Amino acid sequence: MKKTTLSYHIIKNVLFFCIALFLVTFSVYYYFARKTIREDTRENSVYLAKTTINMIEQVLTLAEKNPQIIAKMLESSFVSKDSLLPFLKSMLSVNNSLYGSIIAYEPNYYPEHGMYFAPYVYRQGDSICSSILGHINYEYFYMDWYQIPKITNKPYWSEPYFDEGGGNVLMTTYSVPFYTQVNGKRTFSGVVTIDISLEWLTKIITDVKILNTGYAFLLSRNGVVISHPNSEYIMNQTIFTIAKEINQPGMRETGRRMIKGETSFQAAEFRSAWKKGKLWINYAPLPSSKWSMGIIYPEDEMFASLHRMNIILLVLIIVGLISLSIVIFKIVSNLTSPLKDFADSARLIAAGNFNVRLPEIKTEDEMKELHNSFSFMQKELDEYMATLKETTSAKEKIESELRIANEIQMSMIPHIFPPFPDLPQIDLFATLKSAKEVGGDLYDFFVIDGCKFCFAIGDVSGKGVPASLFMAVTRTLVRSISDNVHLPSAIVESLNKSISQNNDSNMFVTLFLGVLDLKTGELQYTNAGHNPPVLIRKNREAYMFEKTKFIPAGLFEDFKYGESSVKLESGDMLFLYTDGVSEAENSQGELFGEQAIMQIINNNITARPQELIDKMSAEISGHVNGYTQSDDITMMTIVYNG
Amino acid sequence: MKSHFIKALIISAFVFFVNILLSQPAKLTFAPQWMPQAQFAGYYIAQEMGFYKEAGIEVEFIHPSANIPATDLLSSGKADVISLFLVTGMSARTEGMDIVNICQLSQHSAIYIVAKKSSGIDKLEKLNGKKIGVWKSGFDEVPKAMMKEKKYNIEWVPILFSVNLFMLDGIDAMTVMSYNEYNNIINCGINEDELNVFPISEYGYDIPEDGLYCLHSTYETKREDFKKFIAATLKGWDYAAANKATAIDIVLDRMKSAHIPANRVHQEWMLDRVLEMMMVSDNDAQDNDAQGKGAQNRSFLNKRVRRGELLESDFDQTAKIINSISEKRVSFKFDEFYKPLNR
Repeated sequence: MKKTTLSYHIIKNVLFFCIALFLVTFSVYYYFARKTIREDTRENSVYLAKTTINMIEQVLTLAEKNPQIIAKMLESSFVSKDSLLPFLKSMLSVNNSLYGSIIAYEPNYYPEHGMYFAPYVYRQGDSICSSILGHINYEYFYMDWYQIPKITNKPYWSEPYFDEGGGNVLMTTYSVPFYTQVNGKRTFSGVVTIDISLEWLTKIITDVKILNTGYAFLLSRNGVVISHPNSEYIMNQTIFTIAKEINQPGMRETGRRMIKGETSFQAAEFRSAWKKGKLWINYAPLPSSKWSMGIIYPEDEMFASLHRMNIILLVLIIVGLISLSIVIFKIVSNLTSPLKDFADSARLIAAGNFNVRLPEIKTEDEMKELHNSFSFMQKELDEYMATLKETTSAKEKIESELRIANEIQMSMIPHIFPPFPDLPQIDLFATLKSAKEVGGDLYDFFVIDGCKFCFAIGDVSGKGVPASLFMAVTRTLVRSISDNVHLPSAIVESLNKSISQNNDSNMFVTLFLGVLDLKTGELQYTNAGHNPPVLIRKNREAYMFEKTKFIPAGLFEDFKYGESSVKLESGDMLFLYTDGVSEAENSQGELFGEQAIMQIINNNITARPQELIDKMSAEISGHVNGYTQSDDITMMTIVYNG
Repeated sequence: MKSHFIKALIISAFVFFVNILLSQPAKLTFAPQWMPQAQFAGYYIAQEMGFYKEAGIEVEFIHPSANIPATDLLSSGKADVISLFLVTGMSARTEGMDIVNICQLSQHSAIYIVAKKSSGIDKLEKLNGKKIGVWKSGFDEVPKAMMKEKKYNIEWVPILFSVNLFMLDGIDAMTVMSYNEYNNIINCGINEDELNVFPISEYGYDIPEDGLYCLHSTYETKREDFKKFIAATLKGWDYAAANKATAIDIVLDRMKSAHIPANRVHQEWMLDRVLEMMMVSDNDAQDNDAQGKGAQNRSFLNKRVRRGELLESDFDQTAKIINSISEKRVSFKFDEFYKPLNR
């Protein structure tokens, strides 16, 4: 695994969080900033469109007034036909925006004038000229300016046109139909027109500037481009032919909405051939002529300030994140540098060098606590090691003393077999295996008066040194008492009395004591609370002595013990043991048990004393299976060969 | 070897210059029937690409105006050869003008009657009793004859050339040329699917249109020059069909010098439609081209006619039309009117 540092982890996590936080914040900011800018630009552009349209409308609606008034006058027959020309002339002379004006009558309205009667005044240079229009080659009835108001009964702003006579000026004509009473009926009688130049209008439109390169354009009712920064388009193209030429169906749709007189501000659904990038459009109609003005501006300009801000913000954030990383790295390094020293110290301490110098901590924080803990641990370890040394040496001393005590204890009980090579009536074998260095079990045997064989097996309550001392006392007392007294109960009673006195530690001993008459085979015995031994009749059966009713010795000073007797035949064998045998325990807590003892004896009914004990030992080992021995194990077999 | 080559070169150069000195190219004046537009692209190309010069003629173009039609230019001698609709040419002859058709270029009718779908006119019958705009200056004969034959009562509203009255719903329907006014309407923002279109060719009136005409008198005297003119013109049309972009460039130049609004998209449309009108079944190249572009009118493919040919059946049908709507009757024979010079 790659080794990483704590600062790397902290920086990674903090940066990750910061970047996520930044992204969220930035998105929200960007969304709202964009919205605000769009709103501002929209308001700006709507205002711009409105003022521009108002400027144009002022001129157009004013121009509309003249023919409207004339139409009213003609309807009311205020003006005679002879005064029409002078009237129009004077109108032109006071109104510089008018280029020409016609009052065109229906065919044969004035029979004396025939088919055509259309007084016309027009500007030529500085002078105002007049003529009467209408001729077989100039049948004005079929011209849009006449025919459309006539058929639709509505005033009509013509599609713009270049006036070829007047120096290629872009013109438009406003025609108003007029009606007179013919045979008492209001009848269409002709059309009054004015011609106005659109120079001023294109100037107003070209003067519209928005953002850096935003511009305005004007479409006629048919979508013809009247004004546009690209002069190639003017009068040559409609928005629909441009849309087709550059293959922008969205432009056609926008154009359709524009000429329908709709108003909108939106992201343009088209690209322009001569202005790159995404565009926005705002359009609104001219109420009088039903033309439509559009204002176009590039999105990148609209959001240019925002994009500039974004770049600054981005740079700031990157610088910020880098600085943050550096600062975090510094702080974390400073904070954690002692950790590495601590790790080194810990390694040295583990190697046994408790006095290693710990890193110096000047702050009063967790690091200081760590330092204190380390230093405490160092001190404790040092002390502990010192104590451990002392304890170990003390223990070693005790152990060696115990070993000696064990040797002494073992030397106190007979352990040479066969013990009486010159006494053929008795064959005997015994073992004592202490659970601790010194044990509380005992066995002993000796001959009294040359004809009686006294033997005992016992178990002192408790274990260890106190038990071994009590055992030594018991064994010594049994030997010394039996010098004078030969009756088992008397021996045990005497023993009981002796050990009960001054027995402050309340220790006691279970004891089976027997006296065998070597001549008769008569066995007298007293069992003071000990496990009943097993009698194995030669070649017959084995059975356990009945359970004793006497208490162990050492409990009550004046307790009276009785005795029992049994007659042994030649070859009969006694098997005596302590509870270390019957209660030998394995790891599952199962005891070896008396049943197992009887079983083994029955299986080896002819075995010699040592052989039986070896078998028993092997079976016990097999049962405990290595589990710690908890009690002394003592066994003794005696064969009477009478 | 080398001296032989130089001698040959000198002799050829001499012969070449003598030829030039001796053969002053004949001069012809041609008047198309309307202002410059893609309808006449083949003629402009023949001139710009030098096809007329190669043929040994020098051609001058004059254009009619609203007041002076091409027939006037021909009769006054200002033009030697003019282009006219078949029905216009035959009407002129009926009126007593001694003109002959020397080549029939268009073989089909480009006239549509269009109505806005919003008007509810979705069948030809529904035009009965309606106001239909029609050109005041000619081309009105065929639709009028058709409506007369159908016995529809139509209020014909003469219009000069704009589509404005139609756009403002001043009329219920309008006769248009597929290559011109129809596309003008589209270019004024009306979508094709908002229009109901009745091509009169689909109602049994597939009357040929543009053809070349000259006075019977000059037909005899300038016969050879006319032949050269026709051959070079057809070459011009072939070039236009193969090089549409160049053709449109040339047309737009002509329009700009004539100070008339020039619009590439519209002229492209017009050239495609005009080439369809000229489509003949015996010319594989043109046939394939028209099919490839998706001809506006499939029924055109069925007419069996050779290039430049005027079918007698078309002549007869046109005579019937004229007879039905004018007081004078067509009294001349097919052979007297049609004097093909293109073969």
